[in-house]
Amino acid sequence: MPGMTSDAGEFGSLSVVPHSLDAQAARVYPLRTHRATPPFARLSISWARGNTLRVTLLQSDDAVSEQSVGGEVVEVKLAEADGGEISDARWRRIAYGSVAPFALLQSRKSSIDSFHYEKDWWEHVMDYSKEISSLLGNSKSSATPMIEDPKTVLRAVEEPTSVKAAWELLEMFYADKQSQTWIPERLLDWLADFDCLFSGTQPTVHSKLVAFQKELVTIQAVENHPEYWEVISSALAIGWLDVVVKLLRLHGSYMYDQLGSREIENGLVEAVALLISQMPRLRPDLPTEKLGECYNTKPEFMKAWEKWRGQITKLDCSAFWLQCDHQQTRVGLKNMLQIMLGNASLLSNVTCHWMELYISHFLYIRPFTVGLESMYSLAEKCMHLKPISNRHKLMGLALGILEENTEVVLAECSRSFGPWMITHALELLTAGSAQAENLLHEEQSKLGGICIEELHRLTYAQILSSHALTWNIAPIYLTSCMKQGMGLLENLLYNQPVQHHQVLLKSIEICRLNGLDRVSDDIMKIAGVHYWKHGKKGSAVFWLQQAQDDVRLNRIAKHLFDFVGKSVSDESFKQWEGMIELLGTESKTAGGLEFLKKYRDFRRSLQQVQDGITTDNARKAAEALISLMRNPSTPQQFWLPLLYDSLKLLNWKESPLLNVSETNILLNKLQELSLAKLLPGFVASDLPSDALKSVRLALATNLGRAFLLD
Amino acid sequence: MDKPILKLDKGTRCTAWNYSGQRLAAGLADGSLAIYDSTDPSSSTFNCTSRFKVQESGILKIVWVPPQYGDAVACVSADGALSLWEEVIKEDTEGHHWKMCKSFDRNTSQVLDIQFGGSQTCLKLVAAYSDGQIKIYELLDTLELEKWQLQAEFQNVIDLVSKFGNVSCQSASISWNPQRSEHQQLSFVLGFSSNTSPLNSPKVWEFDLDHQRWLPVAELSLPEDNNDQIYAVAWAPNIGRPYELIAVATEKGISIWHLGSNPDPDGRLSAHMVALLSGHDSEVWEMEWDMSGMTLATTGGDGLVRLWQSNLNGVWQEQAVLSPTT
Repeated sequence: MPGMTSDAGEFGSLSVVPHSLDAQAARVYPLRTHRATPPFARLSISWARGNTLRVTLLQSDDAVSEQSVGGEVVEVKLAEADGGEISDARWRRIAYGSVAPFALLQSRKSSIDSFHYEKDWWEHVMDYSKEISSLLGNSKSSATPMIEDPKTVLRAVEEPTSVKAAWELLEMFYADKQSQTWIPERLLDWLADFDCLFSGTQPTVHSKLVAFQKELVTIQAVENHPEYWEVISSALAIGWLDVVVKLLRLHGSYMYDQLGSREIENGLVEAVALLISQMPRLRPDLPTEKLGECYNTKPEFMKAWEKWRGQITKLDCSAFWLQCDHQQTRVGLKNMLQIMLGNASLLSNVTCHWMELYISHFLYIRPFTVGLESMYSLAEKCMHLKPISNRHKLMGLALGILEENTEVVLAECSRSFGPWMITHALELLTAGSAQAENLLHEEQSKLGGICIEELHRLTYAQILSSHALTWNIAPIYLTSCMKQGMGLLENLLYNQPVQHHQVLLKSIEICRLNGLDRVSDDIMKIAGVHYWKHGKKGSAVFWLQQAQDDVRLNRIAKHLFDFVGKSVSDESFKQWEGMIELLGTESKTAGGLEFLKKYRDFRRSLQQVQDGITTDNARKAAEALISLMRNPSTPQQFWLPLLYDSLKLLNWKESPLLNVSETNILLNKLQELSLAKLLPGFVASDLPSDALKSVRLALATNLGRAFLLD
Repeated sequence: MDKPILKLDKGTRCTAWNYSGQRLAAGLADGSLAIYDSTDPSSSTFNCTSRFKVQESGILKIVWVPPQYGDAVACVSADGALSLWEEVIKEDTEGHHWKMCKSFDRNTSQVLDIQFGGSQTCLKLVAAYSDGQIKIYELLDTLELEKWQLQAEFQNVIDLVSKFGNVSCQSASISWNPQRSEHQQLSFVLGFSSNTSPLNSPKVWEFDLDHQRWLPVAELSLPEDNNDQIYAVAWAPNIGRPYELIAVATEKGISIWHLGSNPDPDGRLSAHMVALLSGHDSEVWEMEWDMSGMTLATTGGDGLVRLWQSNLNGVWQEQAVLSPTT
């Protein structure tokens, strides 16, 4: 039974968020291995995503001989978001579904002005609460069967969860200002929805009804069976009036063939049924299938109540009872009247759980109760009358609320229902209680300067980050943290496996939305280097350019020089052309890359010259050569190869392509090169040894011809 | 929820996960290195994708190089050698392979512990040696892991003048300040387990940019500690606390230290111990902080994993114990 299990040994219950209430010794959790067996030589630990801990267990040498493995790594998720009640897939749906309402509420919080805060705020909180509540499952049946089976007294509904029950409790007491005047009735509705949750270890009215319904199919003349009257009384005690009336109508006296002989008996049954369906209720409205008459204000209700009680007393004293021959019916109906008249010992007898007794007190003994103080003392009294051995986690929460002890409510929320619950429920608490708001929003130096609200959000975000399918919603919660959210978000982003393209894009998107440019750059650098080292040079350059990593791009440019700085005929140049194209798109990022683009253009025009085209082409190539040699970003190691490749231009037969000053520039460069040879760090080119000589000769010849031409 | 995610080869001596938890490097007693990979980011099944011989003697420690510098690990061997191995593309074929990119010079002393740190633009490597020396190497080229330069060499003492000879250390532990901001100075904490007590206590070293040197700015020990031998140190990530948090394990237990961020006129940072936790009874093997710096996980000679947290009242306590069973 969810919620009932003792939590020893379950990681789901390992609280990541510390409570000030806990003082017991640390609990021991088993760490189950499959293949490796103790003794272990060493245990090694590493935190993975979020709050996932990976433990490496290494076998000791003497144990290894019989073992097939040398060790094992066990992954431990240190806390579940929901406290372990809900399946993983369903919980992820809830996690995703609750993002939008949470984010909307946060944005409303930041935009609403303080004047309207008190007045309208709870309405926003109620919108939020309703949306969250609908995510947690629908406790009401959604579809009604076309033909209703008269013997179905309880409709089978989706099994409710304690998380939903807890949420509704919190909503009722903290968020819903409108229900403050009719809390007992709301509790009654709540118990009607969730009574089945308490059936695990002990009987409840719900479990009695379920058991009786199973028998009902086989029973003839139900009124002869004591269980029939028992369950009717129980259901009446906790206010399940529709069930009671439905059961009453199964009474044998309603049968057509018996109506004549059991007229008085039937009249009494019907009179009780009528009184029940007319019971005054202090609430604004009732769902259609529920019975009773609603009264909005207390005076009206009190008047109606007195009248109704009067009718019951009158019926109780009626002479018709003497004429009722069917003893079980007489006793049963009389009992019901006593319940409605508030007979305390009878109420105690027909209810099972203290919560049920509690509700029956509100209904029949203290119908005008308001105020939490008296509600708490009544709860204590009821618990005393119906002690329970195994306390359901909802009880702790309910008592904390009734006791108005925010710390207990917080501790119960996070300990029993997990970080998802506490993170989202805090909105209800802060809306409903000034004391809670102070407690939750006060900055605590003991927590490193954050408030408790932020601590819970951080913890929840950390759990979200533990899973590859939920990490990307963690930023929503982190950005709602004033102090440490961004720090944790950065750490989260730095741990993403960015060599996976989708993860990389998502991470960059999150950075962009949150103004984390530096982190974004770092992530792209990681991706760029990864691609570079793994041979995807185009992707590498792209990401490094995005990251504006000039240091590495220049380094890559140098690397490319080594490849492209060979002779014209070299085929390898072709391989690099596309890459240089890519580099050229944002040539401003690095001077070295700009050179490569120019170099590429020069190589192309030179190629055309080689192919034997006109002087015009040759002239263009010569211009490109001069522009390259003038450009300060042209690396020195390229000077000689450039000139050597251009020998044909320098020796152009038809007319010298370079004028005197241009030739002088080239000669100067050649001189500079000769000097640089003597310096350390000089990169020698792998050209033929006479390359320098032939270039020098060509330049000298060209100079002579240029002089003549001038 | 506990779940076995991979089994290790016989003879595995040490393991290390990479930055994203997608790769595990395991060092073996025969000097081999095994790499385990998962196929996609959501999967938690890991398979051995390569295994290769790194050196003759067994591997004692593996540390991943920060991801901005490639997929590479540093290996410390049982004989105290230190080498760097990197995964790169093969020249001729499509596939990848691991190649050694650097073997650090050997002298008579052994490498005991190493850690990488630094900023986005410079990578530094701190190595602690068995003769009590600390060496700091700097990577010269951001794209090549081959070229390293020795930037500094010093002993782990507050008083920079004193020098100790005949030092013999059994173990050392280094932890960098995990900050990523470019504005903050680089710093790390280092402690020894040695026969020369002044070297033992953990000192916080910070790089002084103006004078281009490393300075000790804090010492994490109490006068009554008598310079106990240090099992492990761990510097917590700081996501916004006004102070730094460092855990130190000695034979007395695990102590938690707060380190102030504003230096006094002498350049020293205030350090005070906020908790002394006893748990493992014997040696503490490893300590690691979670990503928020709120939970400390430790393992030790008692064969258990222990988790520590501060409660809402600021009191440090043991939160849980993980006990291996079959």
